[in-house]
Amino acid sequence: MQLSIRAIGQDVKVISYLLAKNPNNLYERDVNGHYVRMFFSKFTDEEIDVTFFVTPDPIELSRNNSQTYDITSYINDREFVVSSIFCTFLRSALGTALNGKPHEEYEQWVNHAFQFEFGFGPLASKFSDRAILELFQPLGYDVEITYGEADYNMNLKSESSARFIKLKGFTTLQMGLRQLFVLIPVLDNYKHYYIDEKEIEKLERFGEGWLDNHPQREFIYQQALRFKELYSLVEQQDQRADNEPLKKSDHKIRLNDLRYEKIVSIINQLPNKESIVDLGSGEGKLSEKLGFINGVQEILAVEPSQTASISARKRFEKNEQQSHFVKPKQIISSLFYYDERLKDKDIIVLCEVIEHIDEYRLEKVMKTIITDYKPKALIITTPNKEYNKVYEMDEDYRHPDHRFEWTREEFKTWCKNNGHKYELSFDGIGEEHELHGYPTQACLFTRKELNQ
Amino acid sequence: MKINLPYAGIVLLIGPSNSGKSTLLRELVKKGDILTSEVISSDECRILVGDIDFIDYQRSERDEADILYDQYQHISAEAFSILDQIIQSRCRLNKLTFVDATHLYPDDRKKYIAIARANHVPIVSIIMDVDQNDLLTRDKNRENPRGIKRIKQQYQVFKREKRFIKKEGYLATYTISNSSAVEIVRSNNPVHLEIGNGIDIIGDIHGCYSEMIQLLVKLGYKRNHEEFYIHPEGKKFLSLGDIMSRGPQSLKTMEFFLRHVNNGLAYMIDSNHGWKIARWLDGRKVTLSHGDEFVEEEFILYEKQYGEEVAKSLKQSLKELLINAPSHYVLTKNGVPTLVCTHAGIKDEFIGKQSYDISDFCRYGDNEGLDENGKPIRKDWTIHHKNSTLILWGHDPKPKPLAINNTINIDQGVVFGGELTAFQYPEKEFVSVKAQKDYTDGTNNPFDEFKKQRLNPPNIAQFIEGYTVGTDILGEISISKEYVIPALDTVSHYTVPIEELVYIPPTMSPTPTPSSLENYLEHPREAIDYYRNLGIQRLVAEKKHMGSRGILLLFKDNEAGLKYIGRETLGVIYTRTGRRFFDEEMERTILLKINKGLTASNYFDNNDTEFILLDAEIMPWNLKAKELISKQYAHVSENAILDRNILMHKLESAVGDNQNLEKWLKEYDEKLKNAHVFKEVFQKYCWDIHTIDEIQIAPFHLLAHSKETFFDKPHTWHMEKNREFHAIDSLFVKTEYMVIEDQASEEDVIKWWEEMTSDGHEGIVIKPETFISTYKGRLIQPAIKVRGRKYLHIIYGMDYLQPENLKRLKHRNTGKKQKNALKEFALGVEGVQRFVNGESISRVHECALGVLALESDPVDPRL
Repeated sequence: MQLSIRAIGQDVKVISYLLAKNPNNLYERDVNGHYVRMFFSKFTDEEIDVTFFVTPDPIELSRNNSQTYDITSYINDREFVVSSIFCTFLRSALGTALNGKPHEEYEQWVNHAFQFEFGFGPLASKFSDRAILELFQPLGYDVEITYGEADYNMNLKSESSARFIKLKGFTTLQMGLRQLFVLIPVLDNYKHYYIDEKEIEKLERFGEGWLDNHPQREFIYQQALRFKELYSLVEQQDQRADNEPLKKSDHKIRLNDLRYEKIVSIINQLPNKESIVDLGSGEGKLSEKLGFINGVQEILAVEPSQTASISARKRFEKNEQQSHFVKPKQIISSLFYYDERLKDKDIIVLCEVIEHIDEYRLEKVMKTIITDYKPKALIITTPNKEYNKVYEMDEDYRHPDHRFEWTREEFKTWCKNNGHKYELSFDGIGEEHELHGYPTQACLFTRKELNQ
Repeated sequence: MKINLPYAGIVLLIGPSNSGKSTLLRELVKKGDILTSEVISSDECRILVGDIDFIDYQRSERDEADILYDQYQHISAEAFSILDQIIQSRCRLNKLTFVDATHLYPDDRKKYIAIARANHVPIVSIIMDVDQNDLLTRDKNRENPRGIKRIKQQYQVFKREKRFIKKEGYLATYTISNSSAVEIVRSNNPVHLEIGNGIDIIGDIHGCYSEMIQLLVKLGYKRNHEEFYIHPEGKKFLSLGDIMSRGPQSLKTMEFFLRHVNNGLAYMIDSNHGWKIARWLDGRKVTLSHGDEFVEEEFILYEKQYGEEVAKSLKQSLKELLINAPSHYVLTKNGVPTLVCTHAGIKDEFIGKQSYDISDFCRYGDNEGLDENGKPIRKDWTIHHKNSTLILWGHDPKPKPLAINNTINIDQGVVFGGELTAFQYPEKEFVSVKAQKDYTDGTNNPFDEFKKQRLNPPNIAQFIEGYTVGTDILGEISISKEYVIPALDTVSHYTVPIEELVYIPPTMSPTPTPSSLENYLEHPREAIDYYRNLGIQRLVAEKKHMGSRGILLLFKDNEAGLKYIGRETLGVIYTRTGRRFFDEEMERTILLKINKGLTASNYFDNNDTEFILLDAEIMPWNLKAKELISKQYAHVSENAILDRNILMHKLESAVGDNQNLEKWLKEYDEKLKNAHVFKEVFQKYCWDIHTIDEIQIAPFHLLAHSKETFFDKPHTWHMEKNREFHAIDSLFVKTEYMVIEDQASEEDVIKWWEEMTSDGHEGIVIKPETFISTYKGRLIQPAIKVRGRKYLHIIYGMDYLQPENLKRLKHRNTGKKQKNALKEFALGVEGVQRFVNGESISRVHECALGVLALESDPVDPRL
């Protein structure tokens, strides 16, 4: 990880005072075993070139700081790439320059612009070259991007995921460095330290004089703060009026809500709805809604995934105070086991679950539900493959984890084959297309013996 | 008067104030008949909660009287609530409690009858019948007289109630008028049985008399001149019930037990068939079916042969034997209850108690009725067994003794052509004899039913709170809840179906101590020394391939797939975390190719097997790990090279001006070289795949065929098998290996390792020659991996060989890794054995899930 600062033109030697670094000496500081280093490779009246770099201790990094830095292996890019770790390391070495507080004598040069060339890298970023240009060009830089080598004995990747960035521009040292200290962590794939409200303050300080007018301001904030909760603190102050046009993914979000609404309305019309099982409840969005249905006394939110269960838990706790909310009981379980806690309930819901199961395994799963659990009613929803045409999708599934998607006919046949002893009624959810039907198809199974 | 106290339960004293209840109890305590703690009185509870046991609320002032009365009622209510709670707790703990209160009103008594019933303990009443005049005299002389009015009122109630009491449902009712003449008889818990010289517990016999005799002889019992079977060491035998019905010689078997039980040589517990026959013998109207009708037929013949009188007398004795058979026995070792014997099941809270409900549960288990097809609905009582007492049971035939959750089923269906099993206690050994034949007509054979249900989804309750697996080679292995939950998540989202996930390979420890050589982290020397110190003479060193671990379950044909995993397939190939190895299409192609080879060479027929279970390494590495290689290894190498290259150039250009930079330049020159080594090493294990012929599969263990496992075979045998597979199909590659037996071969192996690893190969695995090896009776590491210097760049980082790094890396602790390696190895062996034995998939799954759990990160504590 390195940062080089090159400047040409008159008076460039002054820069060494702005950095508070003696061009004749090497600079080396030991920070917990990691070396922060600097050397001048050019120091003439018309040109200076200084390089700051860090030689980290890889073992210290992965053994003692794996938690902080999110490192899971000795093989990680954190010891090479520029990141927030790098900025932290350099913070003290570049303190004088960043704060614009050189020796009195040189204070007048703080706001003096030079012809600079900043080189930094390698950069591990998910963002495209264009996105990088869009960050630096508005700040008046010419940007040059160099790629690492990706020559392997096999067909592994088309281009390297290592990049080195050079910025050329006329600016002050302080401004240039502050921009880098904000934008390096924005571009880097990780952020190593705990991000809290202090980060907002840092952004405001280092962003002074350039960030507010940056066309990518919002993007920079989002990336720098990374977490939604934190970002929303800034966003609220913002109150931007411009309504963005609906994104492509929005129809999915809306369809989700329609599905929940539909399921709730089906359940509302069922005579027996004291106990409901949400099988494959994920993050608990449906279970939360079921908790508000009149007459419900017990909801079992069944989910094997830990991460999802924790989100669901938070979601349920948020509603806990509401008087008419029945808090779902979370159960760690799955369709591939037999679970006696799910027996003899009024309703079992499989909302967008079956398509995540390999088709050949479904029969067994249904057998467990129908013959062992015997709910009074069973509600199943799944995508209607025919509708993918409306979305102008080709052969792809709607979600990469889908194992299949069925046409209306396929779904019907399957329900009939598996729903012995149950009355079936089919339904659709979403905006109906006259040819392709509804985006989501649903089937309500009601146990026959109850109707007699 | 003699009072027979039950072992536990409630003794309700009934009588007005001054009738002598407390006096009687005080005397019994004084005599040492009962404990102070066994007495609980309402007066004492009033003092406990309200400081006083009596308030005289008879006042001339109405308002005062009312308030005092209210106060007394309030104190009484609180006192009784505590009293009831204490009684309930004592009942749950199977203790005896005398309740000292008047209990004059039926509701007072009903409450305790209900508590006793709910807790499955008996209730006895003792009526204190004292004349009214005596009551009044005594009242006058006591410290706080209750007053004439109150005594008279109480006596009226008592007189009225007295005659109803007997019918209220007590185990016994005693009426006492003179307390000094009371004699207390106490007994031990009737279902407790001290094991003495040992007890052999025998599963369901069902009239298979000759098998039973054969088993007793095998257990060491000798027939004496009186036709008694007696063990020379004084052991006794205990039947788990169902000694009759279905089979050929019910009567003879029952007579046998009658004589042995009555002579204190044997024990027998109640059972479903036993109870049915008992009621039939008692003359009740019952329908004899499920083989009970054969018992009747035998009796008819018996009567013809020996006459009505003899038959009647036998019937009478047998009826008593059966009716008196307890619901279960609790075997005690040095007074500590360690083993429960029951017929069909038991709940933890029933143990050591007796009641109608308990008998019913012990006879039939927890069947919750039948489903539409007349099959009992499953409810697995064994899963809810939580305490550490071992429970032995029968009733439900299993092919082999079945241990689940600290319970063991020893009904191996002798009458259905299975086996008759005995469990020797306290040795905990199984002894069994095979049935001479299937004595039934073959319909409703439970083994067929078992086979049908073998692949039923496992009950998640068995695992979710953590569980233990009993393994042959390492004993009990506990899997704790925090690791089970992430493993269940893995199985629910990522792995192949549970029924196909029969084996998960164990992790492997590197050399327990780092290399003593300066420039090495690992070296074969330490692995060899490790085994030498454990007394292992012959070792096998196998080349370690660098690809991805793969388990191959290969079937002879689709039918075999259906039979063993419930799906028509030629097999399944999955990774060490249970994920499908190839995409469906590729898997099908590979399975088909291998199957053709195996079929063409007649492998299945020659080896009399329907499947092959292989543990293998599948190459190239990028086949499974392409994403990982690209995103991690290649990514890191590109960044390292780019970073170091640019710095090198910068340093080179500046070094002329500043000689101090020499040191950094040298350092970065070195580092750049390391980065290039790193890049070279990981590519060594990768190549492009254009056709499946470029895939290599190196099987190093042939774990099992359908009728046998191969854990008893040495690794040299497994390596020969590996060659055999290579000859059958080109997808299988050979694995080089060497045997270490002396100094010279040690040196050869080290040299071999040096050569291959300097070329970039991963390294070798050193194993004791025998598959399962022990030292002083304890299992030792089945294998130690020794990885090469170059290879380790991709494990410990490109600069790991720098002295200051290597020094620190040598401080590694392989303790946990070794522990897990042993547990996972034992679980793997156990699971494969269970699979080959045809056990239920939940029994196989508990092993595979266990390995996944041991390899999981612990669960978030919030879950």
